[in-house]
Amino acid sequence: MIGYTEKMQDIAGRLLKDCTVEMVIGFRKGSMPMMNEPCFVTNADDIPSLIWDSNCGINLANYLTNRKEKIAVFAKGCDSRNIVNHIIENKIKRDQVHIIGVPCTGMIDKRKIAAMVEGEILEVSETDSTVKVKTADAETLFDKKEVLQQNCALCFHRNPVIHDEMVAEPVAEQTDIDRYADIRKIEDMDNEEKWQFFEDLLSPCIRCYACRNACPLCYCPTCFVDESKPQWVGKGQDPIDVRTFHFLRAYHCAGRCTDCGACERACPVGINMRLLTRKLEKDCQEQFGWEAGLSLDQRPALDVYQVNDPGTFIK
Amino acid sequence: MTLVTINKEEWAGGLAAAADSYRLFGPVKKKEYHQFEELEKGESPDLNMVNTRLSPKALLFPQSEEMLEYSLDEKREDHHIMKEVAKDYTQRAVVGIRPCDAKAIQLVKLNFDTPQLKDPYWVRPYEATTFIGFACDTPLSTCFCTTAGCGPYNAEGLDILVMQRDEDFLAKILTPKGKAFADIAGWNRSTPEEAEAFVAGKEAAEARIASSVNTENLAGTELLDLHGASFWDDIAFACLNCGTCTFSCPTCWCFDIQDEVHGTDGVRTKNWDSCMFPIFTVHTTGHNPRNTKTQRVRQRFMHKLKYFVDKYQAGIMCVGCGRCVRQCPVNIDIRRVCEMMNSFNPADACTTQE
Amino acid sequence: MELMGVERDRLHMSWVSSAEATKFIDVVTQVTEAVRALGPNTHFVKQQAKVA
Repeated sequence: MIGYTEKMQDIAGRLLKDCTVEMVIGFRKGSMPMMNEPCFVTNADDIPSLIWDSNCGINLANYLTNRKEKIAVFAKGCDSRNIVNHIIENKIKRDQVHIIGVPCTGMIDKRKIAAMVEGEILEVSETDSTVKVKTADAETLFDKKEVLQQNCALCFHRNPVIHDEMVAEPVAEQTDIDRYADIRKIEDMDNEEKWQFFEDLLSPCIRCYACRNACPLCYCPTCFVDESKPQWVGKGQDPIDVRTFHFLRAYHCAGRCTDCGACERACPVGINMRLLTRKLEKDCQEQFGWEAGLSLDQRPALDVYQVNDPGTFIK
Repeated sequence: MTLVTINKEEWAGGLAAAADSYRLFGPVKKKEYHQFEELEKGESPDLNMVNTRLSPKALLFPQSEEMLEYSLDEKREDHHIMKEVAKDYTQRAVVGIRPCDAKAIQLVKLNFDTPQLKDPYWVRPYEATTFIGFACDTPLSTCFCTTAGCGPYNAEGLDILVMQRDEDFLAKILTPKGKAFADIAGWNRSTPEEAEAFVAGKEAAEARIASSVNTENLAGTELLDLHGASFWDDIAFACLNCGTCTFSCPTCWCFDIQDEVHGTDGVRTKNWDSCMFPIFTVHTTGHNPRNTKTQRVRQRFMHKLKYFVDKYQAGIMCVGCGRCVRQCPVNIDIRRVCEMMNSFNPADACTTQE
Repeated sequence: MELMGVERDRLHMSWVSSAEATKFIDVVTQVTEAVRALGPNTHFVKQQAKVA
């Protein structure tokens, strides 16, 4: 993905100059290593701030809902599927958004990298296949494949499924990926182990809702956890309430989630709540043959009734 | 103020002795991060950390706390009476708090402990706590305490300030509470000749602080001009309106009160709240004066860097701990915002606001 | 729910019309027996908020 930055700046410049769009949504360089900040550009002066690298894991489709302008947005494979989802769910009109497709070779996992080095990380740089990490005492070179975010390592849709133009030629899709190995491991545990597994997984949760807010699918005007007249779910740190939040949110994403990884990336305490969303994704795949956001012409599996929908569980 | 030297055995022995009359709290290692927790008998605070992921404010202000309870069950003697939930406010000590977090507690105290109003849920644990701070010799690149009103060896809010050396500890006993603790711990080997070593440690640590903010113009800038500045949309765009910055911040103090009823029993709880949440300012009528993201983000930075400055004249409502900078999922950086606010020239601003 | 540790036999689904009285009796009996065999549920049970 080296070289994308210049192409993106050119494209943004052209789109704004021609008034094809009123704003371009992309990333600018963050103040921390491995972080970029989503930003919007409306005039030519700000275009040089746009960048692209392997730290663009936040899903920009999240910023499209409820906007009135004509917008250009940079979308990776997963982001583009979320845009398809938004269009199907009437959160944005197709002609309101100019999709600049970004073929993606994966985002790196800052937590994984931090755990692999000693001391505070001061600088990170990358090439197409390597990532160099500098601390006060050492420099470590990683193979990018070793430090990818998990959802990127398991990704089947690196190329945008919908676009008005592309930043680069499509990249090769990965093959022979077992997306659900870790889910199956949990399915094989006994009930008490499963309960404890999620107890441990969710115990650091501080109900900050970064996962929910980073998710493009979570756009309810009032989220179920925010209801208070009457209260639907407790708002404190009771472990059952915390578990209920994650559990129900995953359900609301069933059949819609594209595993963009923004939720896990946004989480300040590093919880892998994607285990829940991917279990439901697995069920949708196995039971309905459904993958979210691949086509504007198909209604989602959980939206329509087909005669051959799985029904063996019904007594 | 006495300066004592404590060797490694005296340190461990002192904590063990204190554990008989104080509940001890300190940083504890959990997988890849540290957190303040109550120490078990014999457990030492893990001093191998720069700072904890979440601030120690939870020790005085738990994230979820029961306030009042009642039961309608007529079999109980106290039925139909709402009363305070029993709490343990026996004396406790926090060992291993950093000067930035201790200063933050003093800033929060301005809010919870005033001549007109004292919040008993905060004031009672505060008064029961002795704060034993650890000076900070290895700051992170995101620490900017020296320009945020404190510093790596700042003593505000501390009863004892400890400097860690290779072979021993140098401790400044600062207050009567600190002296009471030190007496019980047996830390009384006074060594006034080490004062210079302490000063040298302080100066070296301050020199290591690499990040800074400029705040000299904040007080003097007209509030409404800052409020109407044109950069807020740009600052606010990336924000997810989650609670990460608020929950990790040691100076944020907002809470939400929720009642939960289970059958015949009910409890009133308070939970951390965040002005970033969309429903933070929703009124009972349904009206929400801050129903856009820009309004909420603007409010947070204005509170920290302007309203608090004007109201209390105690500097900014930030101690430079850097937690929000490191943990914000979209990398909104308060240092950058402070710079924009501090260098804001009202002459550039519109005279009308939306 | 099963992934999180709730026993499979606690949750059942059936379509029963108000005109299918016999089926209703059968389903209710089956479900009651299946759930009873598992004993009291301990998961996702909140008596009172477990907080400070």
